[in-house]
Amino acid sequence: MTASPFATLRRRLALVGGRASDAPAEAAQGRRGDASFRPAELLEGDLVHHVVGTAVPFEEEVAFLDGTQHVELIGYVGTVPVVAAIVRAAVRLRRDRRLSTAVFASRRIVVACAAVIAQLGPALDGHEPIEAAGDEPPHPIRDWEAANATVDRVRGELEIRVAREFRAARSDGWLLVDGSLSVSPDWATDNRMIGIIKSHASLPFEGAALERYLTLPQGCRTSVFAPQSSRVAPVHSWGLRLHDFVGRDLFHGLIRVEVAATAGALARATPLSRHLLAERAPLSNDSRADRLLYGVHDVERYLRAQGR
Amino acid sequence: MSTLGRVVATELKPSTPHQFHFWTAPEASLGIGTIVRVEGEGRTVFGVVMEGFAYADLARPLDAVIGADGDPANVAHEPTVRPEIRLWSAAVLRQLPEEPMQPVPFGPVALASDADVRIALRMDAYVREEGSTGIPVGVYAAGGLSAPVLLDADFLLGPEAAHLNITGVSGLATKTSAVTFLISSIFQTFPAGKGSVAAVCFNVKGPDLCFLDQPAVLGEHDLALWRRLDLHPAPLTDVTLFAPYKADGVNLNTLRSNSALRANVAPLVWGLREVLDYAEVVLNRDDVDAKADALIDFLAERVVGKRFEAPELRQAPFEVMSFADLSEFFEAIFDFLEANSRGAEVWRTHHIATIRKIRNRLGNIATRSKGLVTDDGVANDLPWGAFRDRSLTVVDVAGVDPLAQDLVFARVISKLREHLERRDLGVDHIIVFVDELNKYASSDGPDTYVKKMLLDLSERGRYLGLVLFSAQQFRSQVLRRVTGNAGTTVYGRMDSDELAMPGYATLSPAVKAKLAALPKGELMLRHPHFTQPIFVRFPRPASLSGREGVEAFPPAADLPFAEAVVERLKALDAGIAADAVRTAIEGRPEDEVRRALSATAQRRPEEVLSFFRGCLRRTVVAAPLEPRRGIAPLARDDTDPFAPY
Repeated sequence: MTASPFATLRRRLALVGGRASDAPAEAAQGRRGDASFRPAELLEGDLVHHVVGTAVPFEEEVAFLDGTQHVELIGYVGTVPVVAAIVRAAVRLRRDRRLSTAVFASRRIVVACAAVIAQLGPALDGHEPIEAAGDEPPHPIRDWEAANATVDRVRGELEIRVAREFRAARSDGWLLVDGSLSVSPDWATDNRMIGIIKSHASLPFEGAALERYLTLPQGCRTSVFAPQSSRVAPVHSWGLRLHDFVGRDLFHGLIRVEVAATAGALARATPLSRHLLAERAPLSNDSRADRLLYGVHDVERYLRAQGR
Repeated sequence: MSTLGRVVATELKPSTPHQFHFWTAPEASLGIGTIVRVEGEGRTVFGVVMEGFAYADLARPLDAVIGADGDPANVAHEPTVRPEIRLWSAAVLRQLPEEPMQPVPFGPVALASDADVRIALRMDAYVREEGSTGIPVGVYAAGGLSAPVLLDADFLLGPEAAHLNITGVSGLATKTSAVTFLISSIFQTFPAGKGSVAAVCFNVKGPDLCFLDQPAVLGEHDLALWRRLDLHPAPLTDVTLFAPYKADGVNLNTLRSNSALRANVAPLVWGLREVLDYAEVVLNRDDVDAKADALIDFLAERVVGKRFEAPELRQAPFEVMSFADLSEFFEAIFDFLEANSRGAEVWRTHHIATIRKIRNRLGNIATRSKGLVTDDGVANDLPWGAFRDRSLTVVDVAGVDPLAQDLVFARVISKLREHLERRDLGVDHIIVFVDELNKYASSDGPDTYVKKMLLDLSERGRYLGLVLFSAQQFRSQVLRRVTGNAGTTVYGRMDSDELAMPGYATLSPAVKAKLAALPKGELMLRHPHFTQPIFVRFPRPASLSGREGVEAFPPAADLPFAEAVVERLKALDAGIAADAVRTAIEGRPEDEVRRALSATAQRRPEEVLSFFRGCLRRTVVAAPLEPRRGIAPLARDDTDPFAPY
């Protein structure tokens, strides 16, 4: 418990009548998604494999955006869980092949129901109180999951904020985001933003199409489709295999690319895929190196290096 | 303070009071040996970089292969360059305040300035406006900064500590240059309040130290270094070179024989008296048993240089002044034992075998050291009692037999010690430079007189003002007590095998790598005030090196006897007519001419030719030439089974 950044907060919680706790910070593992099918609409004929050709690096400046969150259950007031989190997001800009921080933002938050927030009062000094949604009777597990979802949301908002700040300073240049563009109308309409989705919990096809989708050879992309998972704004998407999966898992090296749903998206799919293939190198020092672009990995590492 | 890096510490690489780690940008201008300054928590810490590390975020080398599709050339085209770290380990030189001694704070790191270097190396304790005892030894340079580094005279020439030892491979370590420069620096900056100082250098290799009074042409870089050290780039001015004669007894055995440089070249000639006092040097340890020792003492105290009466040997008393006289003396004993006292084996308690052994050994000296040891008894020696302040005496023994070299070392150093003990040498401090300690004080091999003498000098010399500057290729193979007593230790370029020896275990691999590739003119320095070794650059000496000297002043060819005598006398008086000299010596035995020449050279009279003539016998015997007087050849059937000849 002593290594926690919330040790002081835990002590204050105890002082105001709460019970300190240190449950496993599952939410720290990142966004979670339910395994599901969300059938997509094909926009480029049948679902086929397109060879994208030789990898070609971006000629323009490229920036990478990612966010991190560190979540801890710091205890309970009564039976209501009190969750604290540090949420960070950054854009790292690549110039002359070297990455440096363009925008960085961080928030320290405490999530709990309104009554608990009020009770904690000055004990939350230095932390931003966020009231958990809902007025149902306290349920420690459900409330814990809800708090995690709130932290996810706050991180998403922070990512959108740093992207906006970056765009305010640099309207041109590519911005590659770790995740979906559909979380923000701004992102979903930005012709110079690309979403890189590593998670495949929600799959766009079923049956034979799914098999075709998941057996995409290295250096190929799928036909462009419109995913139905788009939450806020429509985007266009396609699968791209960065590394050979033969002999490994079906998902090895498979990413889903999202771009703005514009008229030129179909024509841009292959050239953008070539650029993304070029981003395979250098290989990230990460267990997800087969799908994690080095630039995104760099942002993650930068955010982690900010300490706890 | 321009921040260069930042101290980092982890559980595996923590900061300690003696070591810390810091990171810099890859392009930061620093390297092994750079002195840095850390500020933090109200303290200032100075450290010297001892090790460097660089790595990227690569988990495994195979990831690099996969990322580049197996082609190393592709790495250059990767859109993103992996970030690299330059992580440096530094050893603490000094902390301010010094107490309480604490781990180095996690503060910013900057290159040390001139003032920082002075504080870091604790030079502020002895480099002052008034009463400074600093001796410039070189320039510390890093990141565009250059700071003079000074040694403390009290710790270089005593009495606090003393002696200097320099190690390095032959030809690249600039050992001779470093010592030459340092002697020049000492002569220019040794504080007057500390007394007078002179140096005696043994030239044991070619022309190394033969031209230290001749100016060299220095480049701008070297001149700048001289200026930075606030020294005058000039050769040594008061230099005298002593060299023995060659076997002919008239041509000097030195490569400084060019006629333009003879003014301050003097012969080194010793007689029986000078040699007998150091007989132990040239005798094998096994030889010097009690019996032999007793005979040598008997000769030294009762016979040599005295009027010795031995009626049983001959009616006339013996006057043993030379090796030739000694040989006659021994022959008389043998004749007496063999003829007059047939069957007897003892003369005045000395057994004939002992007498033969000593006769052989001493005769051996005269044979192997011909040119240094004279038969005729007229010696020419170093200026005992008249050494001048800031003078350099070079004793050139490069061309003589090792036995004679040992004799020269032993006698010169012993005499220096004797005179310093009596405080009548002429100077208060004398620096003795001996190269090739691997030969003269090796850690293995027999215990020689020279080795014992060097050990004694290194252990006790500083109390007398007798300071040893020594050099060798392999420090690990030199008697540890000799090198260990050197307060100041200098390392030039080192052999990798030598650096692998246990004695260098305290040096980091990076420091060893730097030492193995150290450029000429750069040295690593240990000094009592410096808590860590420091790299410095020193300027080329302002004197000609041996090779340059030989090129500029080619050695003169050996002259025929008569011409050599003319030249020697002309060196004393340029106006002497050659024909007059030739006439004076025509038909005279060479020994007689040599004796007269030595006497003239030693006396340096105003009327050189008249004095010389006076030293020659007045009448020349017109008899057939007698066999040359000298040491009788050793009998091949000598009874001594250990005789080397």
